[in-house]
Amino acid sequence: MTTTGKRTLLGYVAFCGLILVLPFLLRGNSYLLNKSALYMALAMATVALSFTWGYAGILNLGQAVSFGIGAYAMAMHLKLVASAGNPGGLPDFMTWNSVGTLPLVWTPFHSLLVSVILGIGVSVLVSTLIGWFIFRARISGVFVAIITLALLVVVNLVVVTEQGLTAGWNGITNLADVTVGGVDIGSYGFGFYYLVGITLVVVLLLGWYATRTKTGLVLRAINSNTQRARYLGYDVAAYETFAYASSAGVAAIAGMYYAVGNSFASPTFMAVPFSLSIVIWCAVGGRRSLIAAAIGALVVNAIQGALSSDLLDVSNLVIGALFVIIVLFLPEGIVPEIGGAFRRIWTSLVGYSGARPHTPKERMPGQGTSKFTGGQK
Amino acid sequence: MNDNVHLSVDGVWAIFDRFVAVRDVRFNIRQGELRCLIGPNGAGKSTLLDLICGKVIPAKGNIIYEGKDITRTPEYKRSRLGVGRKFQVPMVFPDLTVEENLAVADNLRARVWSGLGGLWYGENPAERAEVLNTVGLENRRDVKARQLSHGEIQWLEMAMLLVRDSGLLLMDEPTAGMTAEETAKTGEIFSRLKGKHTLIVVEHDMQFVRQIAETVTVLHQGQILAEGDIDSVQNSKEVQRVYLGSVEAENASVD
Amino acid sequence: MFSFGTLLSGLSIGSILLLVALGLAIIYGTMGVINLAHGDFLMIGAYATWYLQKYWHMGLIATLPVVFIVGCIVGLVVEKTVVRYLYRRPLDTILATWGISILLEEAVNLGAGSNLKYVQLPGMLSGDWVLFGAHVGVYRILIIGIALALLIATSVLFFRTDFGLKVRAVVSNPETAEGHGVNSGLIYAATFAYGSGLAAFAGALVAPIKSVSPTMGIHYIVDAFLVVVVGGVGSLLGLFVSAGIIGEMESIIGFAIDDTTAKVIIFLAVIAIIRFRPQGLFVSKVRQPS
Repeated sequence: MTTTGKRTLLGYVAFCGLILVLPFLLRGNSYLLNKSALYMALAMATVALSFTWGYAGILNLGQAVSFGIGAYAMAMHLKLVASAGNPGGLPDFMTWNSVGTLPLVWTPFHSLLVSVILGIGVSVLVSTLIGWFIFRARISGVFVAIITLALLVVVNLVVVTEQGLTAGWNGITNLADVTVGGVDIGSYGFGFYYLVGITLVVVLLLGWYATRTKTGLVLRAINSNTQRARYLGYDVAAYETFAYASSAGVAAIAGMYYAVGNSFASPTFMAVPFSLSIVIWCAVGGRRSLIAAAIGALVVNAIQGALSSDLLDVSNLVIGALFVIIVLFLPEGIVPEIGGAFRRIWTSLVGYSGARPHTPKERMPGQGTSKFTGGQK
Repeated sequence: MNDNVHLSVDGVWAIFDRFVAVRDVRFNIRQGELRCLIGPNGAGKSTLLDLICGKVIPAKGNIIYEGKDITRTPEYKRSRLGVGRKFQVPMVFPDLTVEENLAVADNLRARVWSGLGGLWYGENPAERAEVLNTVGLENRRDVKARQLSHGEIQWLEMAMLLVRDSGLLLMDEPTAGMTAEETAKTGEIFSRLKGKHTLIVVEHDMQFVRQIAETVTVLHQGQILAEGDIDSVQNSKEVQRVYLGSVEAENASVD
Repeated sequence: MFSFGTLLSGLSIGSILLLVALGLAIIYGTMGVINLAHGDFLMIGAYATWYLQKYWHMGLIATLPVVFIVGCIVGLVVEKTVVRYLYRRPLDTILATWGISILLEEAVNLGAGSNLKYVQLPGMLSGDWVLFGAHVGVYRILIIGIALALLIATSVLFFRTDFGLKVRAVVSNPETAEGHGVNSGLIYAATFAYGSGLAAFAGALVAPIKSVSPTMGIHYIVDAFLVVVVGGVGSLLGLFVSAGIIGEMESIIGFAIDDTTAKVIIFLAVIAIIRFRPQGLFVSKVRQPS
């Protein structure tokens, strides 16, 4: 493995270790555990975005669509569980909206398994369909971004207006706890935290693997020079749709956890500000690296969470300004800059880092393997 | 037909609107041969390469490659059959390293799902290493393509053709923009390549042509003006009148 | 089946879309910038009208030119501070302008509060005319007229004036234009300001018929993008027709079924159109700033 490969893997291991150890650092504080789990769910959606944006070059401004689909799927299931005692098993908001019987669309969500499958499945299906249209049209990245934004606006509108089906503006609230096989996984304990944490670790490791496969390489090639990739005979649209749809699936899982952790699902999970926040976290952390994106999401949300009680009004201003600054001055995100800074410090301390001399802006992999070693990077 | 013939271009015409770019051109190229294609600007050299690689379908005539008639075969299929075109303007993947560029180019069997089956680094590493050695980029395998010199990018492009098992290499002005050193090195690469691969090289640099040429075909206004070894071509009165005089004057002032 | 009123309503919706889309397309076509804050310029225009009406007691029509200028100024500030570092990087401008959009919305939120504001329609404009047997709002007709006038004015500006010539020169080859004494920085700034002014103007026009809130811009900008995508970036005619079609669809489907379904159908229609004619309905070649 090259020096860079080793460094990256070390980073992943350290990060995963931190996730596993954090509950003990937090002294088992249930409020903080819940918040951490929620932030990790957001990080998951951000990692998924990094895969499409940083690797495949597709700026999906509508990540919240997939996230929201997952959230609502889970919320619908948990609402039905909570409403089992009501007349006809009808959720309260439906009664308030004069809906007489459970709509057909709701009926599959009695089962947890089906709800999870539907949440992921619908999300992937929608993305595949949209992707088939826009990627086959070979439109440029800008217009892809706009279409994903338009999709989000439309979906949000539908969710908000169909009050009888989705509880409209208020969202679906008062959800039951998740019970798997009779075991109650509350959202404030070690159980939920580790569930989300381990999923995040798995997503990161699978993502790391995927980016180093031929398909991952081709996605980066498509981002680097789409024409050339096409000329080599690659079905560019198929690869792009794959990136977009698999990201949607992961985002849906993240949304499900988020609904459980919050005990509600709201149209704000499927709204433009939230979706663009995911983009911001990805940009702040560093979109070209899955783990940087995760760190970006965790750090920004942790800071916002710590400040928000006092400075609610100001935090939006800060976020907006932060975004502008990042785009202008740190387009690769904070984590790569920090990594670069560390390396420069190391080089100046030690005299040499094993890397070739390079121009400051470019990162160069170490020169550990000038002879082919036959190992894996 | 001679068993040794790798490519046969038989009476092809290329007509755009009313402009005849290639007029009744016919020639055969043997397996492993290095053929130089020279001629003034606008002689139809690039169009001829377009015809061979499939960018342009001839109005008349046939193209036979390895015994198969590929006159109407689409470009990407010819590419898979082994016809590799290296364009004048290099198009590599600037954000990927040299080795990654090669891995991406090696895709005769790639699909989205099968491509998820293993780390790319482990697929065909020996072949990539061999190709890198042939083009002299073995020490630059981890360098991002955007940081390569102009000559190195050209060699990377050639390497990308080699890694696709291209039997016929169509090189369109490979030394354009190269330094003298890089040009000489390119000549060495070509001498390593010929024999195992067949090369058709379109060139303007007569010194380079002298360095590498076996048989030279001279095109003028879409037709073959002369064909033979470099000396007989340069000594031909026809060729001197039309072309070589002006070009060597150019080259003399450039050098 | 559909009353003339519905059709006219569609035209007036289309007119607003046209004004917003015009600004977007001009800015994108000239400097390769996608301005997600464009909808917020509309919002600022609406707030400016409200403010002028409430505190300076200006009539609606009187506020229009003032609001246009306010829009130009705000646009100029945004251009000079952020956008000019991001020419020809549309993906980056999406992000940066989204940041600006957040800033603008927060600023308005903090300054004027987030509760809805209302702008009054002057008495003489709030009546109905009877045309072709239907009652049509006078104001809606005015909107259509003003939008057409601005479209023509813009067309004249870009194709018949010296300024327009300079803009087109800069678009096709900035270095050559500079070599001929055209100050491209000034041209870009002026163009951005003009586009922003148009958005603000549109905001002033819609203020009486929609409620004014800090987040009112987002729907307009997404719709305007769809207009640009369908109409094609380089074609004023395309924008005109595309805005008209989308406006009519909103009005007719909205009347026949409901507004939400209208938006869904429009969205689906747009991606279908894109799939089969990616350059838009009216542009024969794909022409984008590289």
